[in-house]
This record gives sequence, structure tokens and C-alpha cells, in this order.
Amino acid sequence: MAGQSDSGKHQKERMTLILGFGNPLHGDDGVGAYAVQMLNARSLPTNVKVRDAGTPGFGLVSEIEGWDRVILIDAIRMGRSPGSWRRFNPDEVRLLAADGFLSLHQPGLANSLALAQALNLLPKEIIFFGIEPIGTDLFDDINPIASNSVEEVVNHILNEL
Amino acid sequence: MSNRIEVHHVTRVEGHGNIIVEMDNGKFKDCRFEIVETPRFFEAMLRGRPYGEASHITSRICGICATGHAVTSLQATENALGVKPSEQTRYLRKLTFNGEILDSHILHVYMLVAPDFFGVGSIIPLATTHREVVLRALKMKKLSGDICAVVSGRHTHPIAMTVGGFTHFAKPEELEDLRERCIEIRQDVDATVELFASLPWPKFERETEYVSLTNPSEYAFVSGEIMTSDGGRYPLKDYKKLTNEFLVRHSSGKHTRHKRDSYMVGALARLNNNYEQLHPRAKAAAEALGLKPLVTNPYLNSAAQVVEIVHCIEDSIEVIDHLLELGVKKEEPAKPSRNSGDGVGVCEVPRGMLIHHYTIGEDGLITDANCIIPTNQNLANIEVDMHTLMPKIESKPHDDIRLDLEMLVRAYDPCISCSVHVMDVEDLKD
Repeated sequence: MAGQSDSGKHQKERMTLILGFGNPLHGDDGVGAYAVQMLNARSLPTNVKVRDAGTPGFGLVSEIEGWDRVILIDAIRMGRSPGSWRRFNPDEVRLLAADGFLSLHQPGLANSLALAQALNLLPKEIIFFGIEPIGTDLFDDINPIASNSVEEVVNHILNEL
Repeated sequence: MSNRIEVHHVTRVEGHGNIIVEMDNGKFKDCRFEIVETPRFFEAMLRGRPYGEASHITSRICGICATGHAVTSLQATENALGVKPSEQTRYLRKLTFNGEILDSHILHVYMLVAPDFFGVGSIIPLATTHREVVLRALKMKKLSGDICAVVSGRHTHPIAMTVGGFTHFAKPEELEDLRERCIEIRQDVDATVELFASLPWPKFERETEYVSLTNPSEYAFVSGEIMTSDGGRYPLKDYKKLTNEFLVRHSSGKHTRHKRDSYMVGALARLNNNYEQLHPRAKAAAEALGLKPLVTNPYLNSAAQVVEIVHCIEDSIEVIDHLLELGVKKEEPAKPSRNSGDGVGVCEVPRGMLIHHYTIGEDGLITDANCIIPTNQNLANIEVDMHTLMPKIESKPHDDIRLDLEMLVRAYDPCISCSVHVMDVEDLKD
């Protein structure tokens, strides 16, 4: 959990957590992990932490609790052109959390965020960077178009910080 | 009224299974629990691999029981090659194993079982109506994951356990922190017992054969011999005399039986067989939950998991104390005393008895492997339960019958996707 600094005093020092999701063994599913690698190679402000979240399930709820701002990077099917990326916040989308989902092997990002929301533990600011995957087969390499988008997303995040 | 009651893909279990009940004019005729997962081929993956890779490969059989598979796999390899792990290794393994039992049981009782009693479909609506319950579950789950991470390198799919020992060693301050948190979490554990003791557990009794490891000196999770409540002990290497796997048409997971039509493994079997070795606080919890051997209501398997949550927290405190007293040292893994061999490992993972059996050749490569997962061993027992229960509930509305049967399946905490292992279709008879 992060330090919950009093936001009035540290308006510009919002504690920010950047989480990359996905499995790099599954091609473009791993865009979040690649973004984390790139971010870790750059110099970041002290109020920013970067973590490879992998596929955390409900562990995400404890992970994001207490941060002022959380930035999530993941492969997301948005019906856009393959490899393209988009920035959005939760108000702009509907999180498809299933009631009675099948298995704890499967509580995805949406279910975990829905749980955090129901518990009133969501950080004040959540920003998604979704990259439309091209191929997610086992042992696929990341597609060059998706890889390019990862770099654009990383640059965009660095400017926004 | 329809002559068929079906639950397609039972929810809040791991993997995919269907419940099918055939009725005839409102009277129960037949039922089955279909397992519709594809085989996983892990045993085939092991053949030809160096023995040192086995625990890392088999840990991927399950994202919930990753530590259980890793420890069982290491035991099989160590028994095959005559490796004697140190006291420190044995205690570190016990601690990380407790972490996983806690994690799995907390997930099951709070996130998969509790919603049935609150009349909701998942934990998400529960988070709004019973916020403190869900927060407690998440807090306990976090501690369980942290125990695994401190000891074996990460929350799931341990990386620090190797044949004969560890490659990473928990620091004293990390162990002291875990100890403090185990003490502090007792109030949440007590609240858990209180909550589950207040729930209206379905009433249904059917005595069966209860099978688990047993060990006179501890509540057996990672060491002992195989015991059946019908009387009889088996050394680990004789596991096939007990499991007797066989195929049925409607399940891609094999069934097992011993002397009866079926037997049961899991928390309830352990509690029935090893009640005396439970920590006194866990015995008090069992009493509060109304569990005194012989417990014959399979729905209470989930209640027995609550008792094991208490036991594992208390045992973790004792194991940490012992490790701190020993002083965890960086040590080389114990060495094999021979180059090849045949070995069996058996552990009590959250859902019951797990068996790994490997044959290792002179070149250090695995030539044969067999893994028998607890859920397999429970499939036949679930069906016998269903056959016994159905005539008692056949006049209920179909939705109520569906719920009763789903809750029964859930009580076993089945990990269906893991239960499907190598199949020999030549055995199949019409």
C-alpha cells in the first residue's frame, strides 16, 4: 500500500502506481509486461512506482488500495484497428463484470475492479491504456505494430506524469 | 414438468463440469456429474525432461495448488534419488504449504461458498451488503500469499524450491513480520469461525470411506502414510492399491475407488482421520462448527476447511518460532545418493491427497510420470452422494434441486481442470 499523502499539500505529488498486465508467453497479451520493462529503463519521478502485475486476480484489490492515481496498461479488445491504442477512464466504458463468474482462475481485470469499486477502495483516478491485440497464441512474439503502440503509450505516460 | 434437470458448467468451481439428472414423472431416475475438460498431458510433458525441471513444470498444473504440486513433485524426485532434505528445508516447506492451504481455503469458503448462503451469485454483490466480510477475506488472503512469497519467492508458482532444498532464504525480520501478522489475524480467524458457525448448512448424511495421509506426530499435510477410515494403512509407494483409477463414459477425469463404490479426500477426510493432531484452537473451532468425527455430511467439507484455516495459522506461528530458533541459514540443497530410481510423493493439498510418481533414468531424465489429483478421487463420491440425495429432494422445485446439487459439488471444492490427466481410452468398455 502506498503512502496516502494529504492531497491538498501534495497536489503535484500524487502517489502514482503504474501496472502492466498480461502474459508475455501469449504474444500481444503481454503488452503490459513489455510496457513495464520499457518504463523501468527510463528515469521516473519519485512519486511513481511501476509494477508488472501479471495476472493478479482479486489480489489487484489490495494492490491498488491507497494510491492516488493508478495507470493500467493491458491488451484490451475494444473493436478498434489491430495494434492501435487508446487512453480512457472507467467513466468512458462499461466494465463487464459477470455476476457468478465461472472460476477463480478467471477473475479478470473487470471483475477485480468491480470488487474494488463495491468495496469503495478504488483510487480517485484510474487511467487505462488499452492496446488492441493482434495475436495472443501461445509462444507468439509481440506483433511489431503492437510493440510500436507500447512505445507510444510509454511516451504518452511519461509526458502525462 | 421436464424430465431432465441440468446444470451446464457449474459456477464457482475451478473448471467445467455439468450436473445431469434424469427424472421420470417427478421421480428420480438417474444422475451423473459430467467432466468436460480436455486432457492436460502434463505427464507426457515430463517424459524426457531433467528431474530438476519437474517441480516447476508440474506447479503449472494448477494456479491455486502450485505449491502443493511443487512440494509433492520434489518429494517424488527426492524419494526416487534418495535425497534427504534438511530440517530447515522441511520446516520452510511446511510454512509455504500452510500459506497455500490458507489461500485456497479462504478463497473457497468466502468467495465460492459464502455467496450461496447470502443468496447472491458472486462475491461482488456481497462486497456492497457485507463489506467487512469481504475485506476480512482479502486481508487474510493477502497474508497467505505473503507467507508463500517470503518463503518460496512469490505468491504462486514458487521459484525458490529445488530438489533437496531452497535457492532463496527467508530473512529473520521477514519471518518475524509474518509471525506478528499471524497473531494479529487471529481476530479475523475467530470472526471467520463465528460467521461459518452461524450458517444454515444443508442437512444430508452419507457415510463414506475417508482417505488421507496420517502422521502420529502432526496433522498431516506434507508427510505420513496413506490411511483409510475403513481401516488400513498403505506406504506411499502402494498408492495404486488404494486409487484403482478407472474410466467412465461421461467424464474426461478418471474415477477412483477402494473397497466401496467411492471414497472421499479433502478437508473433511483429514479432519475425520486426524482430528487428534489438530491444534487445540482448531479443535475449539471444530466444536463451534459442530464437527466431531465421524462427520458424514459432505456439505461440511467447507466447514472443515474453516477448521484448517485456524490450524494453519497456529501451525505457522509454531513453525516460524522453530525456524527463528534454528536461525535460517543459506545452505546447499541435499544431494542425491543415486542417479536413477523410482519415487512417489504424496501430500495433502487443499482439496485432498495429491500423488506424484516418477521414474528417473541414469541420464537424469524422467522416463515415466503419473499424477493423481484429489478432484479425480472425489468424482465418484460426488456421484454417489447425488444418487443418495436425489430421492430425498425429488419433490422440490427444479431450481431448488439445482441449487442443492450445485452446493454439493461446490462443497468438494473441485478443481476440475486439474483433474483431467493422461487417459487410456482402450480401457473403455461399453
